[in-house]
Amino acid sequence: MKQFLLLLTVAACALGLSWHRTTRAGNAGLPDAVSTATAAASTPVEPSFEKNIRPYLSQHCYQCHGGEKPKAELSLEKYKDDAALQQHRKDWDSVVEMLRSGEMPPKERPRPPADETAAVIKAIEAVASRSDCGQVAPSAGRVTIRRLNKTDYNNTIRDLLGIDFKPAADFPSDDVGYGFDNIGDVLTVSPLLLEKYLNAAETILDKAVVSIELPKLTRSDIGGLRVSSGAGERKQPGGTRMIYGKGDIYGMTSFDEGDYIIHASVWAQQSGDEPARAALSVTGPESKSQEFEVRGTVEHPDHIQIRSRMKAGTHLVAVSFLNPNPPPKNDDPAKDGKRDDAKPPVQRRLYARSLQVEGPFDPPPQVLPEAQRKLMTHREGVSPREAAREIVERFATRAFRRPVKPEEVERCLSLFDKAEHDGQRFENCVRAALYRVLVSPHFLFRVELDPPAAKRGAIYAINEYELASRMSYFLWSSMPDDELFALAGKGQLRANLAAQVTRMVKDSKSQAFVQSFADQWLTLRKLEIASPDPKLFPNFDQELRTSMIRESELFFEAIMREDHSILDLIDADFSFFNERLARHYGIDGIRGAEFRRVKLPANRGGILTQASILTLTSQPTRTSPVARGKWVLEQVFNTPPPPPPPDVPPLKNDKQLTGTLRQVMEQHRANAVCASCHARMDPVGFGFENYNAVGAWRDRDAGGFEIDSSGTLPDGKSFRGPAELKLLLKSKKTLFGRCVTEKMLTYALGRGLESYDRCAVDKIITALEKNDYRFSTLLVEVIQSDPFQLRTATGERP
Amino acid sequence: MSRPARISRRTMLRGLGTVMSLPLLDAMIPRPLRAAAAPVADAPRRMAFIYVPNGAYMPAWRPKTEGADYELPPALEPMKEHRDQMLVLGNLACDKARPNGDGAGDHARASSAFLTGAQARKTAGANFQSGTSVDQLAAARLGDRTRLPSLEIGIERYRGVGNCDSGYSCVYEHTLAWRSGTAPLPTETDPKAVFERLFSERANDPGRLQRDRLRSSVLDGVLEDARDLDRQLGGSDRQKLDQYMSSVRDLELRIERSEKLPPVQLPDGTRKPSHEPEDLTDHFKLMCDLMVLAYRTDVTRIVTFMFGREGSEQKYRMVGVSEGHHSISHHQNNPDLQAKIRAINTYHVTQLAYLTGKLKELPEGEGTLLDNCMLAYGSAIADPNAHAHDDLPVLLVGKGGGSIKTGRHVRQRSETPLNNLWLSMLDRFGAPADKLGDSTGKLAGLS
Repeated sequence: MKQFLLLLTVAACALGLSWHRTTRAGNAGLPDAVSTATAAASTPVEPSFEKNIRPYLSQHCYQCHGGEKPKAELSLEKYKDDAALQQHRKDWDSVVEMLRSGEMPPKERPRPPADETAAVIKAIEAVASRSDCGQVAPSAGRVTIRRLNKTDYNNTIRDLLGIDFKPAADFPSDDVGYGFDNIGDVLTVSPLLLEKYLNAAETILDKAVVSIELPKLTRSDIGGLRVSSGAGERKQPGGTRMIYGKGDIYGMTSFDEGDYIIHASVWAQQSGDEPARAALSVTGPESKSQEFEVRGTVEHPDHIQIRSRMKAGTHLVAVSFLNPNPPPKNDDPAKDGKRDDAKPPVQRRLYARSLQVEGPFDPPPQVLPEAQRKLMTHREGVSPREAAREIVERFATRAFRRPVKPEEVERCLSLFDKAEHDGQRFENCVRAALYRVLVSPHFLFRVELDPPAAKRGAIYAINEYELASRMSYFLWSSMPDDELFALAGKGQLRANLAAQVTRMVKDSKSQAFVQSFADQWLTLRKLEIASPDPKLFPNFDQELRTSMIRESELFFEAIMREDHSILDLIDADFSFFNERLARHYGIDGIRGAEFRRVKLPANRGGILTQASILTLTSQPTRTSPVARGKWVLEQVFNTPPPPPPPDVPPLKNDKQLTGTLRQVMEQHRANAVCASCHARMDPVGFGFENYNAVGAWRDRDAGGFEIDSSGTLPDGKSFRGPAELKLLLKSKKTLFGRCVTEKMLTYALGRGLESYDRCAVDKIITALEKNDYRFSTLLVEVIQSDPFQLRTATGERP
Repeated sequence: MSRPARISRRTMLRGLGTVMSLPLLDAMIPRPLRAAAAPVADAPRRMAFIYVPNGAYMPAWRPKTEGADYELPPALEPMKEHRDQMLVLGNLACDKARPNGDGAGDHARASSAFLTGAQARKTAGANFQSGTSVDQLAAARLGDRTRLPSLEIGIERYRGVGNCDSGYSCVYEHTLAWRSGTAPLPTETDPKAVFERLFSERANDPGRLQRDRLRSSVLDGVLEDARDLDRQLGGSDRQKLDQYMSSVRDLELRIERSEKLPPVQLPDGTRKPSHEPEDLTDHFKLMCDLMVLAYRTDVTRIVTFMFGREGSEQKYRMVGVSEGHHSISHHQNNPDLQAKIRAINTYHVTQLAYLTGKLKELPEGEGTLLDNCMLAYGSAIADPNAHAHDDLPVLLVGKGGGSIKTGRHVRQRSETPLNNLWLSMLDRFGAPADKLGDSTGKLAGLS
């Protein structure tokens, strides 16, 4: 039991996920955050820099962080008022972090009383978060050009070429920033990745560039005819082949699918009364052979032919000699040196020249996927280069997600020209040009350009093509479809935003949103590497793991598609089970691997009681109330606790800790170093103790103690059991709404949120409150928000 | 040596789902070269940097006495038969892994500072920055002598889950190699992909020349696009495009080089690994085999190898640890947990011993391939419970072409920067530098 406890103490830092820095103020904890969110309305006297912050700084900080040479090049003395603080949020975020972690003031300096430090932290955050949203935001932010991440790349290729084969599977993993893998700043390009781009482009084009022209009807010789060994001769005048024994004159040639006529010119040297007989045949899936009597002579050869349906591929064409003379007797004249003149003077011989294939007649219609057919389509009767221009221009326009300039097409065509100069087939020349498109930075990055000559700091609306891309990569993780592209072309996308969002959500491509956004927000990908101890949880296997993830995805998807309130994510009366998962939950009557919608019993409902979340917040051998509490703080309220100090003092060995896990934890929390944060995490975590480390229900813990899942949140509200706890959590609407908004906006923008984004977030929350927290409201408001619609110029574009 | 038969891509793919036997590259486990093989006159020196996450249980790692007669500590026991090839280095420190005013995040800082000696900028995304790493410094100087300037491999596939350490971007935790402070290089964990990177699918294929020519034209072309685009971009966009452009140039050079260099001679019967082994030990062995193969064929001379991502939660059930590595590394002086950490440390050293053994089996010149290697092995964390960054666990294996006197335990003055070791290795590698990150000079006592 003691080891248990020791693990718990470090569980927060042991989680490996730790916390991420939020740029928003008021993240001190559940109750703090609630009060901060409403501070502006309810507190009559607001804290100010002059009154509430400066005295503390001057007493504890200025000595080092002031004067001519401030330590760490950070002068706090230069800040004079609220506005100065608000303009340098980043500096003050780190000041708060230093104070909160106790790292500053440094150990060798006198330590300020804890309540003074707590008060100043609160004041800094209150001042920092106060700004006037009525005015124009100081910045709309600027997302760094984003290269397509693996998901984007796969989906974009799918939609660009109509082939769905996940070419990015072996690309290096995308880095994660701010909890998501689509953050422009951390998506890097390395030589390794570029090499993979080349490999992928080659594979993609091998699949995509296929000739759409029907094979031409031709009649051609089969070259390099051979003769069965020991039965004839190859070296005859004029490429003629001669055969005197049982065997064939044959050659290989390639066929397209269709009917072919095989022609042969044959003659014979006759012997005796019986005419020479030959068979003309072609092998392949449907071999065909026909016999002929050969009566022609070298001057007037016989023309024989057969007609056969061929499959595409290389097949054997042969003229067989059916009736050679019997083999010579042992008295070979060459051996004994004398001739027997009585024997027939001539050997029956078959000659053949010019085996030809003519075809294909009646080839099958080309059955190509629509996208591939479209790729190579061009106007009739134009020069190859004009045709190529048409193909490349259409492709690059879609690949670059914007109209292309003639010179850009011309540049790509330089590769066409080069290949054509080398005498390559049309398809190969086009392929070379398309290759360049697929490796171009305009394809691999989602480029957004400032308007020409825009001044530094100028805020402008991104153009509608850029907007179309932002929307489609947000909801589909893929390129805009024709409809979005057409609207952007007409400049009508902004005017039709809500309708387009509805359409996009309905489209099956919005699955990508579930699997990218929801999986990352809810940290479901972590379940892929969770490994419950096989001895303790023998029922946990790959199928159960996959089913758990699927349940959460289907649940999120239903909330989204059916336009529920986002609050239903915390508690709802339905979910999706297959047989395996239902059994895990102890529910009967569901058969088969297929998932179906289920009305839930009272002890389940919402993401927090889904086996996925319960498992991924557990240790391999046991539950971790700390981890579960921390997960709620991070993913449900976006108020992550600070990381634990690295060297937590060990517990005194003489102090025997006994009782249930809860009792042990409570004794342990007497340690002041741990108490402040664990008071926020542990009660929530213990509320879910009825679910074991793989999310199954239990009444007793592993030690046989009855589970006590009651508790009191830091705001003083009490609960008995997970159902009541969920109701309490669900009632924190603004806090949860803010969390989902911040996570979704981060994902949508591809950058971390900055202080100037606060007004945009507030506006979205106001809209959510007015519209019962509808999912669709959230999506539309995110897309309509300033940071999504606008961009701040760097002033560097000429 | 005859040229291996080319296996078509399709054949390989077919092979993937079927044979699930031990996926070790039997043929790649080096056998002594034939006597007829040309003696290597001036064997190139190779260097590798092998990283183990979450520090070590130091009482089981640190020898009690210095010099040649030290008693081999328990965690180093697997290296027993190679102790004459090994230097145990004490008292090296990685100061830039410390907070230095940045608060929590020792794990992220440790891996990013290990080869750079630079303080990672604390950011979850925007403007992340470390420094140029020692391997990349060497690769920039001498990498043009081989097909690949350097190779970055690891064991743990990064799955991009949630947040990383205390407000630091995940990028800091899963690579050691930084081309520049803003250009981290990803690590490849899939043995099949490593093989393809080393030898390319069609290494000795006559069609390769044509393909490489097309690639060169494509790269030329897109570089033109990028330059044009660069003029219209600003701010951090430019930095991203720079990464793209330098990667394009890198690949162009690589294609040029591969035309000049002699064809790669793969040992007889070498087969491409078909997939990533389920079993962790198999995976380790396979990656070690690939590293040996890379050295042996002289495709590269510089390797970074992460035995685990920093802060790793890998479970080592084969040595009785079912908890996550990082979780138990905060052992709180609990003897059970300390024993488990020690078991993991020993497990990792066992893999090092396997690698060392393989290098030792290969004759090169008058000695063995190992003689021409410098394998630095260690962590930028010592005691994980305290996140200590001084007196780090560091080993140096191989004689560096006769330039290193192995078989000893050598301690430095306390707080000697780890980067001083890197400078000394650069000297021996033939790419001397005066300064790298927080280095203060060269390391005494290696020769």
